[in-house]
Amino acid sequence: MITPKAKRQPSRTWHWLRRHILNEAQFTHVLLILLCLVVLFPIVYTLITSLRPQGFGLSREVVSFDTLFFGHYERLLSTPRFARQILNSAINSLSGAILTTLVTAMAGYAFARLDFPGRRAIFLFIIAMMLLPGITTLIPLYRIASDLGLLDTYFVVIMVYGAYGIPFGIWIMKGFYETIPRVLEEAAWVDGASPLQALFYVIIPMSLPGLTAVFLINFVFNWNDFLTALILLRSTEMRTATVGLFDFQNQLSGNNSELLAAASILIMTPGVVIFLIARKAFLRGMIEGAVKS
Amino acid sequence: MPKLILNKIYPYLLIAPAVFFVIAVSLYPTLYTFYLSLHRFRRGQFEFFELRNFEIILGSATFWNSLRLTFAFGVFFLILVIGGGLLLALVFNRKLGGTSAYMTIIFIPWMISEVVAGIMWRWMFLPNVGILQNALGPLLGSAEREYLFLADGNGALGVVIAATFWRALAFATLLLLAGLQTIPSELGEAAAIDGANRWQQFRLVTWPLLLPTTQVTIVFMSIQSINAIGMFLSITRGGPGRATEVLSLQMYREALEFNNWGYAGALAVVMFVINAALAFVYVRSLNAQHAFD
Repeated sequence: MITPKAKRQPSRTWHWLRRHILNEAQFTHVLLILLCLVVLFPIVYTLITSLRPQGFGLSREVVSFDTLFFGHYERLLSTPRFARQILNSAINSLSGAILTTLVTAMAGYAFARLDFPGRRAIFLFIIAMMLLPGITTLIPLYRIASDLGLLDTYFVVIMVYGAYGIPFGIWIMKGFYETIPRVLEEAAWVDGASPLQALFYVIIPMSLPGLTAVFLINFVFNWNDFLTALILLRSTEMRTATVGLFDFQNQLSGNNSELLAAASILIMTPGVVIFLIARKAFLRGMIEGAVKS
Repeated sequence: MPKLILNKIYPYLLIAPAVFFVIAVSLYPTLYTFYLSLHRFRRGQFEFFELRNFEIILGSATFWNSLRLTFAFGVFFLILVIGGGLLLALVFNRKLGGTSAYMTIIFIPWMISEVVAGIMWRWMFLPNVGILQNALGPLLGSAEREYLFLADGNGALGVVIAATFWRALAFATLLLLAGLQTIPSELGEAAAIDGANRWQQFRLVTWPLLLPTTQVTIVFMSIQSINAIGMFLSITRGGPGRATEVLSLQMYREALEFNNWGYAGALAVVMFVINAALAFVYVRSLNAQHAFD
């Protein structure tokens, strides 16, 4: 794609190929389509495995397409433990995402619009501290939660999820508020609204796309979380679907890979589907979240 | 006047919940880590242990092994993800069409939980049944014995690097593409008129202007790679032996499997220092982009 020297003459075959078969743009498209196929391969492989009859999972034997087997999905969905863990995932990730959205809707506004002493320092403090999460804070959080008797509760996981989304959410909301013309709030103030009323009745209703992006991105991230739930949730009844899948992998031996594959597909579905539906909000939100554009 | 006071404290009211969460979930646990690192856990009690945990760590071969592995993992992952991301971003920036469709597809892995991704990649490299093991193993091994990826330390680390790269490629591409799009195309065109070929255009015009974005992407991805643990747990569990036991995994095990809280705390302090250095660079490069102007 990148020709090193302009002077170099392309060979005759190459020239002919470009004229008659593929020009440079088409060639690039072919490569990109191949890349997409490679990227999708592990997912398709898992999907196919999940539809094979018991015992055939990862084997090389070819199974014809008329014997597509949905039994593993039926079996999973009727397993109380799996259903319970999916429910746990839903409760934790929804509540965490709602919490993040509320907190960042307010803080983002203060950082975008209001001038107050310490604004810049506090902003950098939030962004910098939240770059440290992951395993280094979860080990002490386990001790803290254990001392407070909060291990293995919805509460602690929701709090942690709520907190993890904050820096990202503040970036997105700050960027979003900055696109709303100032005149609108000023008009509300003139009409006698307090700043708080202006925020809740004028600004927030106009910011629904931004709020939706924060909510959806955080929901998917919480849904996919593994580490927080692994460390802070100890019992099978409280663990979320991703941790349940990990436990399941450790318990299974040999011939049950079809069931594990079906569970993998079910667990990845909500995240992937939400992303595909709201992909514009996701991509824009993630750019905002990591680099100020 | 009460209204005036309200206006003064109003910004702080708006950011208070965000600040509270950051302190509760990030600052306090980080300080607690330092406490843990100076103590040892015995018969359910913490006793003061001076700096002995650090002495133990620095004298332990497993620590240096883990540090080396973390570093090797990070370097290879970064080279792949930044190189691959840059290449893709440059291709997409040429506006050949279809960018958003390609981007959507390669983004799907990022929307899949680490554990699910890990389980899928592990399957592809399982001995006897794994599709990539069967395809690549015989090529890399000797005539009589095929190469078993997960049975060899480097091979197992390679699988984790590949899986992490697969998941993160689109995210790096997105950040770099966002950076590229802020560079006016006239600059490249002007260079082309002056006789610069494509490589020269990239090296002399695009690369220097893209450097701040590249820095942010590198730091972001480094933090990701240091905290990566889900992939290691679901693909190798640190094995074979301790050949893929990176720092985060060792810390997790020492704390939750062996109740060695002091040792884990000291490890967390070491990782905190590494993370803090990266966070510092991150905030500085954000500052360089004048987030507040």
